Amino acid sequence: MDSSALFSIQLSLMVAVVSTFFIIVIGIPLAYLLARKNFLGKEVLDILLTLPLVLPPTVTGYYLIVAFGRNGFIGRYLYEWMDWTVMFTWYAAVLASFVVALPLMIKTGRAALEAVDGNLINAAYTLGHSNWETALRVTLPLAKRGLLAGVVLSFARALGEFGATLMLAGNIPGKTATMPLVIYSLAASGDWSEATLMVVLLTLMAGIFLYLANRYSKTIF
Amino acid sequence: MKKIIVIVFLSLFTAVALFGIVAAEPPKELTVSAAISLKNAFEELGKLYEVKHAGTKVLFNFGASGDLARQIEGGAPVDVFASAAQKDMDDIAAKGYILPGSRVDFVKNVIVLITPKSSVVKSFMALASDSVKRIAAGNPKTVPAGRYAAEVFDYYKITGPIKDKLVYAENVRQVLDYVARGEVDAGVVYATDAAVRSAETRIAAEAPEASHKPVVYPIAVVKGTKSESAANSFIDIVRSKEGSAILKKYGFRIP
Amino acid sequence: MGLVVSVKKAVKGFTLDVSWQIGNELAVLFGFSGSGKSLTLQLIAGLLKPDSGVISASGKTYFDSSLHINAPPQQRSLGYVFQDLALFPHMTVKQNILFGAKGVPKCETTERYREMIDAFYLNDLEKKRPSEISGGQKQRVAFARALLRRPDVLLLDEPFSALDTPLRIEMRTFLKALRSTFQVPVVLVTHDASEAATLADSIIVYSEGSVIQSGTTADVFGSPKDERVERLLMGMSL
Repeated sequence: MDSSALFSIQLSLMVAVVSTFFIIVIGIPLAYLLARKNFLGKEVLDILLTLPLVLPPTVTGYYLIVAFGRNGFIGRYLYEWMDWTVMFTWYAAVLASFVVALPLMIKTGRAALEAVDGNLINAAYTLGHSNWETALRVTLPLAKRGLLAGVVLSFARALGEFGATLMLAGNIPGKTATMPLVIYSLAASGDWSEATLMVVLLTLMAGIFLYLANRYSKTIF
Repeated sequence: MKKIIVIVFLSLFTAVALFGIVAAEPPKELTVSAAISLKNAFEELGKLYEVKHAGTKVLFNFGASGDLARQIEGGAPVDVFASAAQKDMDDIAAKGYILPGSRVDFVKNVIVLITPKSSVVKSFMALASDSVKRIAAGNPKTVPAGRYAAEVFDYYKITGPIKDKLVYAENVRQVLDYVARGEVDAGVVYATDAAVRSAETRIAAEAPEASHKPVVYPIAVVKGTKSESAANSFIDIVRSKEGSAILKKYGFRIP
Repeated sequence: MGLVVSVKKAVKGFTLDVSWQIGNELAVLFGFSGSGKSLTLQLIAGLLKPDSGVISASGKTYFDSSLHINAPPQQRSLGYVFQDLALFPHMTVKQNILFGAKGVPKCETTERYREMIDAFYLNDLEKKRPSEISGGQKQRVAFARALLRRPDVLLLDEPFSALDTPLRIEMRTFLKALRSTFQVPVVLVTHDASEAATLADSIIVYSEGSVIQSGTTADVFGSPKDERVERLLMGMSL
């Protein structure tokens, strides 16, 4: 296995872990907001956040370029101020994975948080606990199962992400080519045995992760 | 609970920092976006370049010519673009994304009809016969090879008769794979692709030059590149004698 | 000590318009389901907001629409026992009760906690989860949790309705004992006439969002004002 294939294993893990981290930190609060608060434009927000789930990943990738490319409506400011673009860096792979996997966390998390008995939350308020404290000590713990399921789904999606990554981060061996991209390139150039090896490795990684996640969920629940 | 959060944060930042060091950039880099059909040849050309210009690392970004063009339009930091079709280069040239003087046609490819090894199909015309049930070709909307295939079919006036037998693939290597595995009875690919799976396929026929627009691959320096001279040197290497030899090895012809 | 309630609230197809007050007693809000009794409790607790009116307990104003005062539930000194008890399933009995210690000075918490455990006979159950204890035990935990802070008023929303009859009778005795130990005004919502009869110092009769009679138990049972009250007294379970 050549160095770019080895590198892609490390890269895929990094990208999946980092994007899942941001999905937890940003996705759970968003899911909480959608589940338990009412505000103008709430369902519009929900639809926007769910879109990447239904769009073909290449299209999502295209929209990401429109937003974050050097000429993009967000990217152009980064480029003007710091002479830097996210395209073709590994951060782009993280961003792409984050965007396509976030809907999974939000949909699952929202359902789990909505299912928490409102009486329990009211009880916490009558006992003097602030909204914030109640969310942390009552609502979120009671939604643990669903939230963990969301994390697992997001991580798996991030690990296997291809189309949007290809567009925003590029298929650059040794720099941004994650395992799915390397498999694509190997298959495209007819290197079937190498491609198969990478596929087996990726499957093993996903399998180990799922196994560990299941074990962990049994111990904390 | 709080301890877990602290540990997670710390390990995350350590990992990211370490990774930043590991993936640190070498002194000079040249980014070349190339159509995926050029992968094998260009990887060798890249190594050739690095030998002749020590200190510069060549990074390749392989993909479908259409996607590569969209990336360049989106401001991707690319120095050189090698497309599998004139159309995608024309697109971005018209919008001013390349240095006009740098554009040059560097290889020609031949369109061939391939079949599984054991088949006896002898020509494009034979595709209309009943013994041929399924034909693979690239999707003309997104794959250049698919557009050429469509032109060849028109030339032989078999477009109508074979319409229902066509299986579209999203890239030309997939067409090759279908034929190699015997999923289809025939496929239309470039001669360079056929060379890669020569054990499982045979070339039934070559499409005459008159039957399709010339398959000439253009290469150009992308506007806004920060390494203009390195980019130009790369194109020089591609067109040099040694470069041509590598390309010919993989089945390309020199225009 | 005392609770003053005078509120109006329009909800789906129904308007609540009541005005009453109680002192240090056990008052029963009595009436058919859907007459606004639980709604009144939720308004007193601050879980819902009245359209207009005043709510105050022990001289502290919790709500006054003319002065734009609306204290959130966290700032009202109330104990609330929900119909389904609302014990936190992911916490032990001890954790549930201690969850009610918000605002209690740290040095006093342990002492009060032990007081509760003893008073409610929960000694062997501290480490158990709500799912592992009986209905009557769950009741006692819910009360202990609500009373730890020594609230100014105790609000009980049909707390015994899920229990079977023998247990219900037992809980009535328990509530009476509680009243003598913890001198706190209690508002009890029920549609059970015998419960009202046994426990109430005063009864406030609800019908379709209004109070149609109020007074001591003897007054109400002895001289029901109109046939609606009579129907209530006769029609409900014994």
